[in-house]
Amino acid sequence: MSDIRNERRTFLKVLGAATAAGVSSQPLFSALADPPVAPDEFFVFIHASGGWDVTVGLDPRNEARGIIDPASTQWVDTAVLRNWRDATLDADYETFEILQPRGTNLRFGPAVGNLLNIADRVTVINGLAMNTVSHPDGTFFVSTGRHLAGGRPAGASIDTVMANESGRAQLFPSVSVSYPSAYVGNELDPRSAPLKMASIDSVSRVLTRANVNTQAADRNAVTMMLTQEARDLLARSYHPEVIEQFVLQYESLPRMVREDFLGLFQTAGLQTAQPNFNYRARFQSRGAVNAAFAVEAMKRNVVRCVSFSMGSLDTHGANYRTQPLVQQELFDVVAQLVASLDAAPHPTLRNERLSAHTHILVVSDFCRTPQINMTGGRDHYPNGSALVISPKFRGGFSFGSSDPDQLLPRVAGRFADGMRAVAPPDVLATFVNAFGVNPRKYLRDGDVVRELLRA
Amino acid sequence: MARRAAALALVTALGCTQGAADEPTPTPTPTPSQDAGGAVTADVPVLRPRTVQEIPGHESIAQDTAPKEAPRLVPVEALMRSYMTLFGGLSPLQLQTRLRGSGGNLFDTWNDYLSALGVPDYAADIPRNEQTNALMLAAFERIGVALCDRAVESDLAAMPPTQKVVFRFDLPANRAVTDAEFATRFDVLHRLFFGYPASLAPPERLPRFRQLLRDAAARRATQPANAPGFNATRASWAVVCYAFVRHPEFHLY
Repeated sequence: MSDIRNERRTFLKVLGAATAAGVSSQPLFSALADPPVAPDEFFVFIHASGGWDVTVGLDPRNEARGIIDPASTQWVDTAVLRNWRDATLDADYETFEILQPRGTNLRFGPAVGNLLNIADRVTVINGLAMNTVSHPDGTFFVSTGRHLAGGRPAGASIDTVMANESGRAQLFPSVSVSYPSAYVGNELDPRSAPLKMASIDSVSRVLTRANVNTQAADRNAVTMMLTQEARDLLARSYHPEVIEQFVLQYESLPRMVREDFLGLFQTAGLQTAQPNFNYRARFQSRGAVNAAFAVEAMKRNVVRCVSFSMGSLDTHGANYRTQPLVQQELFDVVAQLVASLDAAPHPTLRNERLSAHTHILVVSDFCRTPQINMTGGRDHYPNGSALVISPKFRGGFSFGSSDPDQLLPRVAGRFADGMRAVAPPDVLATFVNAFGVNPRKYLRDGDVVRELLRA
Repeated sequence: MARRAAALALVTALGCTQGAADEPTPTPTPTPSQDAGGAVTADVPVLRPRTVQEIPGHESIAQDTAPKEAPRLVPVEALMRSYMTLFGGLSPLQLQTRLRGSGGNLFDTWNDYLSALGVPDYAADIPRNEQTNALMLAAFERIGVALCDRAVESDLAAMPPTQKVVFRFDLPANRAVTDAEFATRFDVLHRLFFGYPASLAPPERLPRFRQLLRDAAARRATQPANAPGFNATRASWAVVCYAFVRHPEFHLY
């Protein structure tokens, strides 16, 4: 009899444990079970869309060496570049002096703009092995660490990963303005799905409510009832993930359409709140608005990740003349973003500045060819650079390099799979590891580069 | 000559007979049913749920009924087509004009909502959004309110149910609908938006919508509308319409 009882007890224990394991393996419950990492940290991810010319920016070249044609007064407009200092190239044209900020191993081209002023906080990764010259592929490779599979992203993007790890409780865990965000993988909580939008302004019209024929109470009553309906469907669903998203999104909707959020999504309001960005920039005025949104949204503690794209870098022809200016404006936005974060108090930590807890990653599809082509532009080239500004990373530090004659990635050191160049998955793995997240949870490839992190 | 004429008559007669046989049987105009609350038009035939085994030849065939794929979001183009079809069979610009109306800020332009709805923008390398997010649900709400409010304004005016577009029924004058009357009208909307009868829906759905209608009417009794023409009845049926047009079943397949 006691044996039977013991067996029954054992059976019930096993059944209970199995049920608990099954329940907790559901994304929603597993997410609720894990405390968020870095709950007071914020993230800004910027994609320099189109492929930047690193020879005038982060990996500068001012010698005609190998196949490299350096930027010169023949090919680019130099008058608008604040950091351009003439250096002799040949009898007819001038090139530029390379900038070497004191106390760092960084080398900058004339397009870095005001980034030069915060060089001691900047980490640069050069010689990234992109292995692609396709815009869509390069775009998602730098944000997910995976090349596209059948034209679709094969992994979660870095903004989704960080939102999943640390932003689930936020009203907007991840706001993605034309950024290559991807929500792919079994580890993700539905709340971390990026809030994708074409522009910040487009949101304000969606959030406007007329209150003419019915009132907010009516709409909220509908939302509450639909939440119940979705919960019922969830209980019946064989594939609960999609319905689960509906439940969570219905729950956040009443908070989202509050009138005091409208200003957050309006250009005019952002320009007033953050007047120091250059909203009249020729190429990056929208980037300035997006950066201002990032600061304001983080100050109000309603986002965890803000990601956006800054474009106009795809200069195959005569429009290459403006490539350094496009980059200068881009880096000016980044520098002003840091300055604004320096000036902003942290929303949850007393006596702390936002900049001490905000982590910025800037990447591009790839770089541009070392040669100037027949039409005066540069085409796509499978090398890349990345920029990190983070208290977790070593400031004033450059890692990796490209070939001096061909601008191709050079071996950066020994990785788990041998000697090779650094690649986007390594940058992403290092980034997520800086916050105590196991990169293998999200990334198939990539090693943590310890040299990049602060001791 | 007479024989030829007879043959011609025969051929003509056969031709006419053949032509008549090819013509589709005319569909009878739906006749509104009546209840104490007025006429109700339900032009969808009454369906009875049937199992696969009831289909001749399927009595002993094993059926794997396990869903093989998660529900998918209705593509945004199909969603917009649904809006246009269900709310009057209008073109996008006609519908936009109707939704904007003479003011009230109920609606802007379709362009203002496209990115929130997940429309791809290949010029800017923005892919199609195949999953919902809170912003998309906010857009569903914004658009749904405009669609339903305009439908209420036109359909709940005095006109025969057969000419109505969404609310294809009458409402009792000077009193609220009874539970039975609500159920009949709920079924009309359920068939319109979800494509199947309310009798096949989860049993808790009908009382939930009923309560939604009651609560909206009660709120309006204590808080008058900004729009003078939108009385408690109109406001409460508009709220029911919001729930249909924002429902997960309306957006998934």
